[in-house]
Amino acid sequence: MTQLDTPSVVSAPDQADHRTTLTQRRQDRFARVEPKGKRVFTARERAEMLVDDGSFVEMTPLRTAGGGAGSGVVAGWGTTDGHAVVVVSHDAAVASGAIGAVMADAIMKAQRFAIDKGYPIVYINDSGGARIHDGIFALHGCGGIFANNIEAQQRIPQISLIIGPCAGAAAYSPALTDWTIMVKEQGQMFLTGPEIVKAATGEDASAEDIGGSALHTKVSGVAHLEVDNEEEAFHATRLLLSFLPTHKGGPQKRHSSVPANPGAVERLPGLVPDKSSVVFDMNALLDGVLDNGARLELMPTHAPSILTLFGRLDGHAVGILANQPNSRGGILDAKASVKAARFVEFCGRFDLPVLTFVDVPGFLPGTVEEGRGVITHGAKLLKAYVETKSPKLTVVVRKAYGGAYIAMGSASLGADVNWAWSGSEIAVMGPGGAVALLHRRALKAAEEPTKLRDELAAVYREEVARPYIAAEAGIVDDVILPEETRDRMAAALRMLTHESSI
Amino acid sequence: MFAARAEIVANVWKIVAREGDQVGVGDVLAVLESMKMEIPVYAEASGFVSKVLVEVGQIVQEGDPLIEIDESHA
Repeated sequence: MTQLDTPSVVSAPDQADHRTTLTQRRQDRFARVEPKGKRVFTARERAEMLVDDGSFVEMTPLRTAGGGAGSGVVAGWGTTDGHAVVVVSHDAAVASGAIGAVMADAIMKAQRFAIDKGYPIVYINDSGGARIHDGIFALHGCGGIFANNIEAQQRIPQISLIIGPCAGAAAYSPALTDWTIMVKEQGQMFLTGPEIVKAATGEDASAEDIGGSALHTKVSGVAHLEVDNEEEAFHATRLLLSFLPTHKGGPQKRHSSVPANPGAVERLPGLVPDKSSVVFDMNALLDGVLDNGARLELMPTHAPSILTLFGRLDGHAVGILANQPNSRGGILDAKASVKAARFVEFCGRFDLPVLTFVDVPGFLPGTVEEGRGVITHGAKLLKAYVETKSPKLTVVVRKAYGGAYIAMGSASLGADVNWAWSGSEIAVMGPGGAVALLHRRALKAAEEPTKLRDELAAVYREEVARPYIAAEAGIVDDVILPEETRDRMAAALRMLTHESSI
Repeated sequence: MFAARAEIVANVWKIVAREGDQVGVGDVLAVLESMKMEIPVYAEASGFVSKVLVEVGQIVQEGDPLIEIDESHA
């Protein structure tokens, strides 16, 4: 039975009247209003599609903001893969989804429910922002939603989908949530739309220019995933939820262990080029270690020199941070630091183990990066690792130099277990730079400086940079082979998550 | 017209593509050197190399155009 139907057992005429009234009320409220513009589904259909079939239960379905229309939002709960989730879906059919006092109150009620009961909340955003007619009451309501967003950060995962043009308050609320997914060409986020931008500053820009998914997933980093359509947005949300506990302190999701991809396992021992200057694809390395299958990379096109993704190892849901040599050499810069810090902080907040795979040439120096505040942003990554108390496992797969060595989940920042592959290098700086500083005079006096530099660099690499010094000092727990990584990590996770079957 | 750009401040280490070469998506056009890493510059469009805008040894900034590809003759 859907919410539209009213049981038709009629025993007396007076009962028939109130039953008819309810049926009529429901029919009026649930009548489908054809979506406008690029929209494909109504607010209610979106909520129903996001959750398991038939599991959506609407909260206060008869609530109205007046004029016979709904409250402006379809709010309720359902399950994804059997786990409870609260859903808030803006109804663009009511005043273009503009957030008035009643709509704001309905959203806050759903937020309160999610926070108090400990369920993740998904916001399906399709709103032009505060409702002008409601004046200060609209603003007060929007502020209340933000305050709840912030309270929820310490309690439950929050995911925002951007499925229509979202301005003002409808863009700020997502910025206070954990992950934002945008539908290409259909969803936009901006402080204010093109007309007001034109009036305010004279700038001529389209909605896509100032708030499209390309801008926010590549350049600004305001959104974390771009998808092609509404169905994909719901799929990505369900996948994301599959890695997360329902609330802070709740049990972690466990699946059966799946072996790593067999081909990737076979390639793993020879995957990383010996020469530390030659790039390779870190994804291929992860394929040889992680459980084959479910994986979700966030911010794939923003600061791609670092990878941030959710996956599984031996059935445990884990957050994975890895330098990507294939993009900008795998450097850390201001944007990569912010991206990485945000990811580690999230994992820590929800007790997800953090697996860090290190091959980093350093923090990118120079005027541009210093101007972007790389010191402040890099420091955020250090802080995120230290404050994260979930299991932290780190493996240096090739090189880790200087401040970037420390920043990438080192022992000093509280890694529970850390390893270095046998071919790796750990040092204050790379052999080339170190030799240029340490042997400046000898190099200046040399007849063949390039030859001497290469010789000295080779000596430095073997005598100073190899991981045995770190292992002998106990700063690296052990030196391991690539093919041993998965088992070492799995054993450490079993121990750190208090699993009895060690 | 498509321009392959530097994704990072770097030294131009090698220029692989020559003017007039036909290139396809994913071909290496040049190799930059930065942070002791050899960073390949790939063609993101197919066509003819219409102009090489840099020389070996030149310092380039993030976003600088390096090699132009004329897509109209692809």
